Amino acid sequence: MSASPTLVARTGSFFHRYANPGRFLKLGARLQPWLTWPAIVLTLLGLGWGLFFSPADWQQGDSVRIMYVHVPAAMLASAGYAALAVCAVLSLVWRHPLADLAAVEIGPVGACITALCLATGSLWGKPMWGTWWVWDARLTSVLVLFFLYLGHITLIRAFDDPQRGYRAAAILALAGAVDLPIIKFSVQWWNTLHQPDSITLTGAPTMSSSMLWPLGLSTLGISLGFAALVLARTRAAVMESRIQALLSSPRRNQGNAA
Amino acid sequence: MTRKTRRLWLVIACVACLGTAAALVLRAFSSDIVFFVTPSQVASSPPPKDRTVKLGGMVVAGSVHRERRGETPVATFDVTDGQAAVSVHYEGILPDLFREGQSVVAIGTANSAHDFTASEVLAKHDETYMPKEVAEALKKSGKWDPRFGPPPSAASWNSMTVQDARKDLAAPAQPQSQPASPAPTGSAP
Amino acid sequence: MTHLPYIAASYGLALVLSLTLALNAAWRLKTARARLAMLERGNLRPVQPAPRPEAAPSSTDTQTP
Repeated sequence: MSASPTLVARTGSFFHRYANPGRFLKLGARLQPWLTWPAIVLTLLGLGWGLFFSPADWQQGDSVRIMYVHVPAAMLASAGYAALAVCAVLSLVWRHPLADLAAVEIGPVGACITALCLATGSLWGKPMWGTWWVWDARLTSVLVLFFLYLGHITLIRAFDDPQRGYRAAAILALAGAVDLPIIKFSVQWWNTLHQPDSITLTGAPTMSSSMLWPLGLSTLGISLGFAALVLARTRAAVMESRIQALLSSPRRNQGNAA
Repeated sequence: MTRKTRRLWLVIACVACLGTAAALVLRAFSSDIVFFVTPSQVASSPPPKDRTVKLGGMVVAGSVHRERRGETPVATFDVTDGQAAVSVHYEGILPDLFREGQSVVAIGTANSAHDFTASEVLAKHDETYMPKEVAEALKKSGKWDPRFGPPPSAASWNSMTVQDARKDLAAPAQPQSQPASPAPTGSAP
Repeated sequence: MTHLPYIAASYGLALVLSLTLALNAAWRLKTARARLAMLERGNLRPVQPAPRPEAAPSSTDTQTP
């Protein structure tokens, strides 16, 4: 790798420093407890606070407590797909091997959290709106995101040559990223049954601080949990690929010898 | 190196093209993506009688009449978007969140420009979340009447605690004229 | 106006899902680590030389502060 100081080259070399599986495993093992334990503690704290100590909403009553699961799940559903898109760029442009392994592992976790978002949304919609499901822009775009995850999961495993699967899935991840701004702005661009965001970058949150705190805690905790899961799975995947390599090389040697 | 740079630009160009295409498609179908039509849209161009439409708007304060016809509850109420109002008839159980000043989506058919028969009514709550006590305190201080629209700006109440609100509610006896009541804490951070 | 079943179902779902994912990840890590250690000790090298230090961690993944 030449030391030409272009941004592309430098970005590449920065990421390739962690392409070495041994170095990644060592770093990952050290990082893992710092993700896992705060994730567990913060999630339990946030959800416990939300479930038992935060006040009920003036019009929704106790049903508002579903928010403490639903909103973090929704945020991570989008964030997980954004991570897939980043992995796709790293894979397509820099051919980064770890990005491919990470993409394989992000897919199922992201699909699970999207399913959780849809399910809790349904469970919230039935008592409040009066319906399990409507085809409004927000709900439909999140359902599309769920199917994008499912497509990614199957595509990346669909080929005998894993490299082709990585390539195809990366293209899908990038193309599907178009859905992310649609999800985000659907409640502003079109009228929907789903209410607009309570927490925005520009204005004061239209939520009492006694509900905002537990929501922030559970969001932080569940995000760390997502990261911890992806890291653990990617570490396992790196080890598994090493096992594959070890298993195939001596057997070939034996075959040659025999 | 140049190959990587070229691949990067290729990826950027593809994503840009795809994004533009998606934006154009969404723009073109924008009127189909909206979940409901507003009363003023119904008033200006009434949809055909046999078409199911979703009518969204706010329930006009004082317009709700509930009665019972045999077993089924029957409700009549006006839905407005501020410019036009449509009268909605609905037979069935209204959702829990239904109230005057609440946004609702009525699914049904328009009999005329101002007359609508709903087969289903959904409540559409807004994005404000506050404890009951805070809502009561805001109502009592005269800053907000839920029957007439959304609450005041969030910064004026989102740091009010339940204890503050209880104090506000307990303190003055009956200050219907508003200046007597103490302003909620944190009105201007 | 409590809707307890809906709330319980939401939290229950979250719990089940996170437990499943976490246990699956922990199990994968554990088996992968064990198999890797076995392979590196047994197959690659003739049995004698001491295993590499990274190949002998404790059984849980979170004990490396």
